[in-house]
Amino acid sequence: MTASTFEQVRSVASDIFGVPAEKITAESSPETIENWDSMQHLNLVLAVEEKFGVQLDPEDIEQMKNIGAVAKVVEKLQSASH
Amino acid sequence: MAIVIQPYRPEHELAVADFNQRLRQAGEDQNMVFYRWAEPRWLPRTADSRIYNEFFVAVDGGIVRGGYALKTQEFFFPDGKIRSIGYYHHPLSEGIVDKAHAIVGTLLLRDAMQRATLLYCLGMGGYDNPLPRMLVRLGWAHCLVPFFFRVVNPGRFLRNMHTLRSSPLRNVVLDLAAYSGAGWAGSKLFQGYRAMLAPKSSADCQEVASFEDSDSARDAGAIWEKARTTCSFTAVHDGEALRVLYPTVGTHLRRIFAKRNGTTIGWAVVGERRKDAKYGNMRVASVVDCFALPEDHFAVVSCATRALEREGFDLILTNQSHEAWGRAFKAAGYLPGPSNFLFAASKKLAELLAPFAEVRPRMHLTRADGDGLPANF
Repeated sequence: MTASTFEQVRSVASDIFGVPAEKITAESSPETIENWDSMQHLNLVLAVEEKFGVQLDPEDIEQMKNIGAVAKVVEKLQSASH
Repeated sequence: MAIVIQPYRPEHELAVADFNQRLRQAGEDQNMVFYRWAEPRWLPRTADSRIYNEFFVAVDGGIVRGGYALKTQEFFFPDGKIRSIGYYHHPLSEGIVDKAHAIVGTLLLRDAMQRATLLYCLGMGGYDNPLPRMLVRLGWAHCLVPFFFRVVNPGRFLRNMHTLRSSPLRNVVLDLAAYSGAGWAGSKLFQGYRAMLAPKSSADCQEVASFEDSDSARDAGAIWEKARTTCSFTAVHDGEALRVLYPTVGTHLRRIFAKRNGTTIGWAVVGERRKDAKYGNMRVASVVDCFALPEDHFAVVSCATRALEREGFDLILTNQSHEAWGRAFKAAGYLPGPSNFLFAASKKLAELLAPFAEVRPRMHLTRADGDGLPANF
């Protein structure tokens, strides 16, 4: 996971969950971010798709269990499309 | 462990029972549980079925974290074609009681959208609930399906309608109306006024035992052929579909035919709703489904209403999206009420219903297409 991708994902997550970016780590998950419920998870999926121009399959969504995992999924999809 | 969404099989039943137990222990609605049996009791899939239910579960290392049901059914479209589409219903995620599983709701919906790109949802209890909020966020086309009700017994209605009793003052006013007879008189005056304005129905009404006998199936098929193009979008209502949707066993639904000069001109399926706290002790019935040419809608509604009134129901409810059916119900003394019955179409389905604003008024969607059949009857 590159620092650049992680920073961009963190910025998206900060907007969606209403949490300062500096408080979001790679390990941040629904269990540590209060606003991360099923609705906000969908919002995160849609925002990631829009921001990075990728299409997330259920298998990708399943891996998005914390912010670090989201960044890894994005990088995997971006490298597959290049 | 990875969450895998897969068809619900008998070997998952114990894990589903555990899942339901966890939901109950978390204090969620005790009725909000997933199907106990892997094989659907209603509309199981067979080799030649055109209408069937399938269940899917989200399994995480042998533990079930959620599930949903997908009904497949043929619909008539604005372009005149018939297509098989999916109805996403009874989605349930452990995320509602444990945020660690917040991911499951999105997974279930995405999985259904992959299995059936032409997908719809109906019912859902209002825009505030999580599923409709998700669908709106996903850009699905959506609208409310109008709700109509007819008060047959005003006294019992005023005494029992808990949703109307939102303050002590309202309680007093409603009790006065109920016990003084003012409610009864007002309702009868309104219905008498409506009856004066209504078209006269010259139809004969006949209850038939099933859609399985050849005459009923043939008549329903003939009406389907004549009337389907008066709808922009509707579930196929031919004799075979009705036989599958409204079997004689397993529900208390009744089939009412309207006839003129010995020829069937339309039909309705009606039934008593199961007890619901919001209706108190009232006996509540629904006009679940109906089909006819627009000029015969009023005759069908009249037959259905008379059949239910004779049975002593206190209140009759229906949801009707087709504006001509709405007019017929209003002409028969039904009042429009606030609806929480939503229709939402996936983007691919909405493309076939475009322009949605023009197609919407002639879509024929009823309770029969929603998530309460047959559980509510």
